[in-house]
Amino acid sequence: MIQVTNLSKEFTLTRKQRKELNTEESIANAVDNISFNCKPGSVFSLLGPNGAGKTTTLRMLATIYTPTSGSIEIAGIDAIKYPQEARKKIGFLTGSTGLYARLTPIEIIDYFASLYNVPNQQREERKKYLFELLNMNDFLNKRIGKLSTGMKQKVSICRTMIHDPEVVIFDEPTSGLDVITAENIIKLIRDCKEQQKTVIFSSHIMSEVDLLCDDLAIIHQGKIKHQGSMSDFRKEMIESNLTAEFIRIVQS
Amino acid sequence: MIYKIFKKELIDTLRDRRTLMTMLIIPILVFPITLNIFVNLSASYEKSATKETMKIGIIGNKKQYLADELNEIPEEMGNKKLIFFRDSISLFRSLQNDSIQLGIVTGNAFDLQLKTMFPAEVKWYFDASEIGRKERAELYMNIIETKAQEKRYTDLQVDGRKINPFNTEYINVASDKKMIGKLAGGILPYIFIAFGFIGCMYPAIDLFTGEKERGTIETLLTTPVSRWQILIGKMLVVILSGLVAATCSLLGLFISIEFLNIVENQELLKIIHEVLSFSFIATLFSLLIPLTVFFAGVMIPIAVYAKTFKEAQSIITPLNIVMVLPAMIGFFPGIELNFKTACIPVVNVVLATKELIAGTLELKYLLLSFSVMILLAATSVFVSFRQFGKETNILN
Repeated sequence: MIQVTNLSKEFTLTRKQRKELNTEESIANAVDNISFNCKPGSVFSLLGPNGAGKTTTLRMLATIYTPTSGSIEIAGIDAIKYPQEARKKIGFLTGSTGLYARLTPIEIIDYFASLYNVPNQQREERKKYLFELLNMNDFLNKRIGKLSTGMKQKVSICRTMIHDPEVVIFDEPTSGLDVITAENIIKLIRDCKEQQKTVIFSSHIMSEVDLLCDDLAIIHQGKIKHQGSMSDFRKEMIESNLTAEFIRIVQS
Repeated sequence: MIYKIFKKELIDTLRDRRTLMTMLIIPILVFPITLNIFVNLSASYEKSATKETMKIGIIGNKKQYLADELNEIPEEMGNKKLIFFRDSISLFRSLQNDSIQLGIVTGNAFDLQLKTMFPAEVKWYFDASEIGRKERAELYMNIIETKAQEKRYTDLQVDGRKINPFNTEYINVASDKKMIGKLAGGILPYIFIAFGFIGCMYPAIDLFTGEKERGTIETLLTTPVSRWQILIGKMLVVILSGLVAATCSLLGLFISIEFLNIVENQELLKIIHEVLSFSFIATLFSLLIPLTVFFAGVMIPIAVYAKTFKEAQSIITPLNIVMVLPAMIGFFPGIELNFKTACIPVVNVVLATKELIAGTLELKYLLLSFSVMILLAATSVFVSFRQFGKETNILN
């Protein structure tokens, strides 16, 4: 369960950033008073164009950023007051996630399992389960730098799921991936849903959202423009297709 | 948690070829290679310098006082050949085109001055940019002068000893160990500082800027590990790398001394062995560990702030000069460890090491230097923590 209430995030702009953004304002509101709720066993999508505030929101949920105001509850834990406790419940995967090129997949998985304090027996069981599920056994001892993009993506997934998190956060997880590699992510999101985990993912691809999500929020310039279930979205749409409807809402 | 971070970062660092080069290979090899080349070059130069035949130009004919005297000097004092010139112009021209290496010009009244027992005017001309020529001229002239002086004593029937009112000797009471410590003791901490800095540099950039650039830091920050634990785990690897690089450079120096015979003087070798005792090395490390922490603490905020490896490298590399420059102050003779210098970071470490080698280190100054370095190291760790805690710094 993720409960977000009146969440805001402000960044102080440097002179260089003000010049780049062509603004006189010294503060930028990346996220402006948003609220939403993600339920276990369902997939919530945060949809928005580039620079809408999706990544900032997800980074606040993952406790990387501290919100300027508002509250976040992750699996019943106040994530602002107790960020370390909240992190134990979270699996975080982004499309831009890098891996340590000089380590092997097994070393990376063991490292993250140890950071999450996963007990030895549980760790071995999870490793066995995930390695077989993701078909990773052939490249476990090769250095990451020598693996293909698809193999690396599997390692990232395994790393995200090694501690069996209750809440999984995906930030544009399929960004830059080919369709076959992206399929691993789609499958993972479906598995998480089946396992009654709380899943939130951000995207700017409407077809991906249509395929996976139960609830969605459309975010633009830090504000939520639309929120509801996917089925209601489909029913209430004015335009002829989902992408056109998404553009209409953003521009309204 | 700190140990888990440290262990992983250490494995990662040890698999980086660039870090291995700056941390282990270069520091170990630099002294054996450079000292070996230096010793061989200087030995071969000395050999060729004594074998070189010096052509000495003299104005006038073969039958003259200086020519006769020079011819009497045995060849063991260096090979020579006399060339006679009619005038000074042709002699100087030959000197300039190096067809002769030394030129002698005497005054017009040379023979008369000799005969009447006045100081006779002799001028030796040589190219001082060529090493060994002045030395050869002085050697020959000393022999000729001593002989002429003895002849005058005999002619005047004077006991030479009576001419000199004093028989003065200047005796150095400082031990060889103290002399080495005061004059050359600065080199040891200088080496340690230079290599310690370089050893810290690549791991600091790789573990902070590199992690940001490769996009791995974001994942690490979502684990239930606090930022200070991540910082300390990484920082320990940076410090260890600096210490290993510095230790390897000393090891390289030790190998050069022990196995390459660069120190032929047995007395000096004995002193070096005495200096390199366990207590000396332990005291040296007690000063150098906070210094390396300080280096890491200076580099990490820069590495955290920089967005790319290149940016971090371009800021930290010139910083090397700023850090190593104070170490060079320790080379100047006369600069001693006192209340003032003990408060100047880096300089205090160099001076304390010099005093330590010389055996003249006072405990109060050692403690003051150590306290200053600890304070500085703690400040730099705090600054690193502040920088690493800033959201705008840790993610690109």
